Amino acid sequence: MDQQTQNGAEFELDLGWMEKQGEWGTHAEPSKNGLTLADIQVGSYAETPEESRNLSGRPRGAVPRPGSMPIGNYTVRTKSEIWLENASFLYEEALQRQWSSATDIPWDTIEPLPDDVEQAQCQMATFLTEVEFVAGDVPSRWVSKTSPDFYEARNVLMAQVMDESRHMDVFRKRALVNGGGLMRATGATAGFVGGIDLARDFTEMSSRLHLSGEGAVLTIFRMGELMAYNDAEKAIYRLCAQDEARHVAFGVMHMRYMAANAPERREEIESYLDEAEAGMLTDAANPAGQLNQTSESLSIMLGGGRKYFDEGFRKLVSIRKRQLQEYQKRVTSAGFGDRFKNGRSRLGHMMANVAN
Amino acid sequence: MATAKDADRVRPALTLTKEELEVEVPEPRLNWMNQWREWGVRVRPGKKGLTLGSLNVGLYGEIPMNWPDRSRNPRGAIGVTGTPPVAIQIKDKVDLWAPCAADLYEEAIQRRWAPATDVDWKAIHPLPEDIERAICQVCTEICQYAIIDVEVITSWQHQMAYGYHEVKQFLATTSLDATRRHEAFRKRALVNGGGLGYEGPCQVSRLLLESSSGWTETVTGLILIRALFTQVMIRYLNRFAYNGVERKIYECVTQDFARLITYGVEHIKYALAHAPDKQGSILTTLAIGFRMFNRDLRDPVLREALAIVFGGGIAGARNEGMLVFYEMLDEYVQELLDACQYLRLPVTIEQLPRVFQKDQRHSADS
Repeated sequence: MDQQTQNGAEFELDLGWMEKQGEWGTHAEPSKNGLTLADIQVGSYAETPEESRNLSGRPRGAVPRPGSMPIGNYTVRTKSEIWLENASFLYEEALQRQWSSATDIPWDTIEPLPDDVEQAQCQMATFLTEVEFVAGDVPSRWVSKTSPDFYEARNVLMAQVMDESRHMDVFRKRALVNGGGLMRATGATAGFVGGIDLARDFTEMSSRLHLSGEGAVLTIFRMGELMAYNDAEKAIYRLCAQDEARHVAFGVMHMRYMAANAPERREEIESYLDEAEAGMLTDAANPAGQLNQTSESLSIMLGGGRKYFDEGFRKLVSIRKRQLQEYQKRVTSAGFGDRFKNGRSRLGHMMANVAN
Repeated sequence: MATAKDADRVRPALTLTKEELEVEVPEPRLNWMNQWREWGVRVRPGKKGLTLGSLNVGLYGEIPMNWPDRSRNPRGAIGVTGTPPVAIQIKDKVDLWAPCAADLYEEAIQRRWAPATDVDWKAIHPLPEDIERAICQVCTEICQYAIIDVEVITSWQHQMAYGYHEVKQFLATTSLDATRRHEAFRKRALVNGGGLGYEGPCQVSRLLLESSSGWTETVTGLILIRALFTQVMIRYLNRFAYNGVERKIYECVTQDFARLITYGVEHIKYALAHAPDKQGSILTTLAIGFRMFNRDLRDPVLREALAIVFGGGIAGARNEGMLVFYEMLDEYVQELLDACQYLRLPVTIEQLPRVFQKDQRHSADS
């Protein structure tokens, strides 16, 4: 190079790449929400392949390079395995609604609580810290296995990983801010067969994580006002509910897409739902479930103290019912509502035994 | 002190059905109560709010050198025994830690941005076709880097022990940063009459994805080769930006990269300080990485596209643009050597492939 410069010669350019570009002349236009992912779905850039043959991490729509090595470890290469129709919307919303647990929670509104209530809050915070770990790690792992041709779905999952990280930290903060501390972990997210970690298929994982697991937690967060003792706790539950609603929406919309586009997998998905339902009240990952560590702490929070445990427990029963009702609505919305009419679902039986 | 009674007054009521009111309530066991390792913690918010790092007080601030627990027990909680483990492979602090992780995590959240709304996309205007094609090619390659960065980070994150949650949480911000980087550059490529370009070469990406020997080695390639180079490239792109849209993207992305690079350098420093024998594998990774990078740089596409951007068109690319490209490469090499010096890694410019050596480059080109 130096020799060339010293000689005053010009560098030779190949420029062959200028003839190897994707669709040209694209003018994506910003909409009222800015320039969103939906706005850049123009021309061939909006086309998502049913089967991805992209094994090298190429951005969708770029021109493939002959001889590229298959360096991507993509096991998810079929659109129906991961896709949902509103991914662009969910991703953009997630970016707009990012929040900070350090500065968006009015921590100074927390005042000392009676010891039994503080213990219940800290036990619940310990549990939520623990389960938010799994909700971050597992989607993250699936992103690395998903073809970038389905980048919209990957983006939503990445936003979820960030959300879960923040949830984990906000509940740790809650446990350590008011004279308490972390309490006993539950082991709710251990490597059990049928657990979220061990799913070999994305839809199987999503049915456990998004639909039943996070669905149950979402109901709790939505009822946060009932167990919040100050504005800080109210803000925590409200902001977490907002995030969790997107995660649950991902699961519902993905399952809806799967139901419509891969009918041959319907029976398999019904099996995932069978499993999810079987664990809804008994699974330790449901904070309102039958594990006494969490159900008792929730009852104390809902009742207003150990002395009002009975009142709190009755509210907990009401919340369990809501969890089941909301689950039914989601599964119906996902296109699997028949199971509630044809006797396959055990939800009716569970509803009758919700107080056990 | 607020009492439960007071609390009841401010909390909304839940109307229960007759059936719910008649529910038989089981006797609570309450065997979870009074179960803690340290109680009475009262962390107060500081001037930056209630930060993750400020929680590291007393027992909760004890971060052991080894975390053998392969469950999701939060650090400081009473653990559960007898449950099947999850797939955690990185259990030693030396393999992932950087003391700044908690601060970087909070900074990442404070400096969040959204390409959809933080960039004034309407301010973009048509560019000469050669320049637009070059910018779109550069965007394509940066998108590809970002896609791979996400895959590299997310393939390791779940393998890290929960005792080091600060690092896991910071890495969540970096993979979202990379996701946003892909988004922003894809949007830039599709907004101004252009489109995506030609797929980039993949040797460095291959190194990063296939570096399964350890996270520290992955970080070595990811930070000292890929991220440092990309950051310098983006700094130069900013200097030669054609409009405010590009400038805004470059500025935001530079901030994101600064955090990633800080973590990476500080992690390598920590690893070397606590496990000096890691130096060998770090140097070997760097040597292999530079061979891979050299192969990628033999491909003319990115070089020519950048030269067109820097030179103001094809004509300018043949002299001024290409000179700026090599100036940029030299700046990257200097930053790399500075980082190695900071890390006390015995890396000299003579050890690098000739394309990275200013006075040897002509023989590499020939």
